[in-house]
Amino acid sequence: MARRNTYREDEVLETPFDFHHLLRASVYIKKYLNKMILAFALSAVGGITALFGPMLTQHALDKAIPDKDTRMLFMLVGLLIFTFLISVIFTTIRSRIMVNVSQSIIYDIRKDLFAHLQKLPFQYYDDRPHGKILIRVVNYVNSVSDMLSNGLINVVLEILNLIFIVIFMFCVDVKLSLVVLAGVPVLMAFLFWIKKRQRRAWQQVSNKNSNLNAYLQENIVGAKITQIFAREKENSETFALLSDRCRGAWMQAVKYSNLVWPGIDNISVWVRAAIFIFGLIVFGQGNTSLGVIFAISSYASRFWQPIMNLGNIFNNFINNIAYLERIFETLDEPVIVDDAEDAVEMPLIKGEVTFEHVTFGYEAEKTVLKDLSFTVKPGESVALVGPTGAGKSTIVNLISRFYNVNGGRVLIDGQDISKVTLHSLRSQMGIMLQDSFIFSGTIEDNIRYGKLDASLDEIVKASETVCADEFVRKFRDGYQTEVKERGSLLSQGQKQLISFARTLLSDPSILVLDEATSSIDVQTERALQQGLNAMLQGRTSFIIAHRLSTIKNCDKIMYVDQGGIMECGTHDELMAKKGYYYHLYTAQMEDIA
Amino acid sequence: MKKKQKSKMGWLWENMKGYRVLYVTAILGTVVYNVMQLTVPFVTQNLIDLFLTGDEAAANLINRRTLFYQLIAAMVLLTLLRTLIVYLTCMGVEHVSQKALYRIRTYLFDKIERQDMKFYSTFRTGDLMTRLTGDLDAVRHMIAWVLRTITESLALMGATAVYFFYMDWRLALCLFAISPFIFLIIIHFKNKVAPRHKALREKLAQMNTAAQENISGNRVVKAFAREDHEIERFDQCNTEYSQTNRRTAMTWLTYYPYVESFANLMPVVLLAVGGIFIINSQITMGEYVAFSGLIWAIANPMRQLGNIMNEFQRFSAAADKVMEIYYSEPEIVDKPDAVDRPERFEGKVEFKNVSFQYADGNLPVLHNVSFSVQPGETVAIMGETGCGKTSLIQLIPRFYEPTEGEVLVDGINVHDMKLTQLRKNIGLATQDVLLYSDTIDGNIAYGDTHIKPEEVVKFARYSAASDFIARMPEGYDTIVGERGVGLSGGQKQRISLARALAVKPAILILDDTTSAVDMETEKQIQHSLKELDFPCTKIIIAQRISTTKSADKILVLQDGHITESGTHEELVAKKGYYYSLVKLQTGDGEE
Repeated sequence: MARRNTYREDEVLETPFDFHHLLRASVYIKKYLNKMILAFALSAVGGITALFGPMLTQHALDKAIPDKDTRMLFMLVGLLIFTFLISVIFTTIRSRIMVNVSQSIIYDIRKDLFAHLQKLPFQYYDDRPHGKILIRVVNYVNSVSDMLSNGLINVVLEILNLIFIVIFMFCVDVKLSLVVLAGVPVLMAFLFWIKKRQRRAWQQVSNKNSNLNAYLQENIVGAKITQIFAREKENSETFALLSDRCRGAWMQAVKYSNLVWPGIDNISVWVRAAIFIFGLIVFGQGNTSLGVIFAISSYASRFWQPIMNLGNIFNNFINNIAYLERIFETLDEPVIVDDAEDAVEMPLIKGEVTFEHVTFGYEAEKTVLKDLSFTVKPGESVALVGPTGAGKSTIVNLISRFYNVNGGRVLIDGQDISKVTLHSLRSQMGIMLQDSFIFSGTIEDNIRYGKLDASLDEIVKASETVCADEFVRKFRDGYQTEVKERGSLLSQGQKQLISFARTLLSDPSILVLDEATSSIDVQTERALQQGLNAMLQGRTSFIIAHRLSTIKNCDKIMYVDQGGIMECGTHDELMAKKGYYYHLYTAQMEDIA
Repeated sequence: MKKKQKSKMGWLWENMKGYRVLYVTAILGTVVYNVMQLTVPFVTQNLIDLFLTGDEAAANLINRRTLFYQLIAAMVLLTLLRTLIVYLTCMGVEHVSQKALYRIRTYLFDKIERQDMKFYSTFRTGDLMTRLTGDLDAVRHMIAWVLRTITESLALMGATAVYFFYMDWRLALCLFAISPFIFLIIIHFKNKVAPRHKALREKLAQMNTAAQENISGNRVVKAFAREDHEIERFDQCNTEYSQTNRRTAMTWLTYYPYVESFANLMPVVLLAVGGIFIINSQITMGEYVAFSGLIWAIANPMRQLGNIMNEFQRFSAAADKVMEIYYSEPEIVDKPDAVDRPERFEGKVEFKNVSFQYADGNLPVLHNVSFSVQPGETVAIMGETGCGKTSLIQLIPRFYEPTEGEVLVDGINVHDMKLTQLRKNIGLATQDVLLYSDTIDGNIAYGDTHIKPEEVVKFARYSAASDFIARMPEGYDTIVGERGVGLSGGQKQRISLARALAVKPAILILDDTTSAVDMETEKQIQHSLKELDFPCTKIIIAQRISTTKSADKILVLQDGHITESGTHEELVAKKGYYYSLVKLQTGDGEE
């Protein structure tokens, strides 16, 4: 496994990326290709119409005014108004279309990115600060849309423009045109020189911002810890350092970006100077007519306008590709736990769970479970006990296929769970994790998360069963109480009760309780036990608990340690055996007595 | 510290302190550059007139070749100078904007860190993050681009206007007659677009919040196979943000054709009026050409005004959000005459008739709670879920203020102490364990970064974490993911305990810190807590009798009242609530 990333390290970019990867973005563009072509056509027509403007003005100056023909002057003025109105209308329509296209592209990319993130395994979230994931979904996506919509259209327009000008130029004079074009290699060399540096620099900007975002997110979430340890000063210093790195990276990047435009400007002037020198002196007077030089000179200045525009677009591309590559990197992140190609729907689960020679490790070189085999019959309740870090949570994680096993098989009702769809499997399981995550929203919303179409009655009933109803009703707004982010309004024990209700409501066939009641006081747990017993009826359940009093009545108790099951049996059997469990239990009782 | 809220521009100006001269210089550079842009064409024009189109062009070319080269050199060098000024100006403005961004951002971060709990329950993580990233970027853009462009436009228009009026005031007046229309349109546009930008900032924050919460809650999402539901939920935010963005852009596009048409009208008016003036011999052809050569310098800035107004409103909406945090003040702060106690505290804790209620809550959490803990003593607090245990201990480091009564540490009301000094003396391990994505070593040393590695190991041993850490391939250098994912609940709790111990606090508060730790390990922890090599008062919230048994004093908290208090033996003899707990935990039948 690659080392986990923190705010201190830049994320390494595994795949090289370049302009040709823009092709990949074409997926997002394709959908709107018709609209883009229409926008392009409107721009082209608008642009051509605008070209009539100077002609009309010229005519007025050459003809109407010298002839003192006021009528003709006003007619020409009228025409001029007409042409610019058309141009304005077309431009407006084009812009309206493109606003929609670019917003749709952002929307699509973001939607795909988010959907893909939902498929990524725990590992992905465990290996990097969440702020670094967040910045990609929100900030980066915003940056790339203009490049993919207006940027592309403008590139095409400017290139077409350029081609026309070059053709016109060659028609007028080949030699002088070549002088103009001689500027192009100089320009290319310049852009090439810039590009290499600029790209790295913008990558740094994205890296440094990502680090900053990571630190920011962790510190907002952990503000309380900061205050407990009175670390405000140190943290502010770290943040200042990260901010300063962002600043440095940005300054480095704009150092190059801001060079592009002045660079092109200068090269264009050199070319104009060259036209004068070559046209008038080198190719010699008489050989080149004045009109030709005048025309070429005016074309040359027109030739550089699209190039300058392209320079700006180029700048924008280089800048945004640093973001685009990060977006694609996330989209390319392999979905490790995914539906098999021929995955079938898991039929209604009866509840037989079998581990067949299961070997598993979170990291390749470190096995957590070694050749583990056991079978649990439908409806049985199984308690997993043993020291922390022995692999109890790992076992239950494998039943829900949060991870793929490295060897062996996990079967439910005789069906290998790697062959069924994840959704059909997990939606039949109720899993209560150690960290009872509560979403912001009302208490009702949080419980309903277990069954989206549950009625309020069902919700109240579930709460009653898990003894949550009483404290919920104590709040002024009852079930409508807003619990704030991460349920900060609630105590840890209350959060566990709500997440219990949430699990119960989902009416699972297999129930997994991973230290689900650790923060609930003994008295409440006692009351909860009755509800729990009803809940366990007819469901296979796996319970991890340290308070042995809560698991004494389980059908089967497994003592897990050293990657395997050391002992298995009922409470009485294991007590009689005087092994690990016996020691654990008597130690606990001794402490209490 | 308290700052008076300033106007947005005043606020920006304040944050440019130290760079104001550079900024003004850079902005003036913009003016110079634009004036140059107006003059450089004259050189080219000269070149063309003298050597290309003029009557004596051919002769000039032979006779005045030095001038020819001089003009060409001037053209090249003036462009070089002009672009150099552009570059330096840009970099200067970028520099100032980045410095201001840095200053505001670090100030905001510091501000956020020092806020009280009320603030954190008001502002959500995603919202705060948006303010420090996206919103702040709009502020940066204001300094780096908007202000510069405004100056540029005004300079260009101003210079040209002076020139035009100098040449022919009547024609100039006719041209400028158009500008009030453009201004009116833009003012109308401003009123329409301002609420759009406000809504846009809001939607961005909402989307950020939704994504942030989804990422944090990824395990629950998977556990309930709710991916589709989450996608739908996010889709709503995504759609709303996208729609608001569209609407904002469309608002501009509603006004754009009018602004653009009026701007385009300028050269047309020039042609019509100018034409008539020429016909009536009021101006010469040469003057007309001068006007027409510079008409863009009026029309383009006019066009730009709409765009500038749009950006300005974006800044305004974003600055509102940024400044809300910038000027927010926590309610819990050091009193001006706070007692200065740099020395280590003795560790006496006393509650005197303390009642407490959350500001946004509706029921009192603590009623008239009184108790005292002597230095070095261990107090255990027990009680049902939601009875107020956690609220009680949060009053000691002054995360909240009691509504009535006082909390004293070493005989001094915590209200009169310096927050940093108070909290430096308290080690608190919370229920909801939050570790940072950092090494285990870094996490344990969080409260005291200068701690020696062998001390980190020692505290890990105290909290029974050294064994499992040693088993990890990278040991103390193992990076734990955000919130310590990858570790089991018990492991996280032990690291959090080591972290609290590592500051060698005078008062150690454990809020159910060993709930997910197995009994064996807990016994070890209890043992080492007794043998700490520094004096320490311990306040322990626990569910297990095994933890509370050996405490000097046990407090039973029921619905915010202390109902029982005494040693294990005393309370067992009393046969009250505590006794029933003991009975429960030792199994029904009292084996």
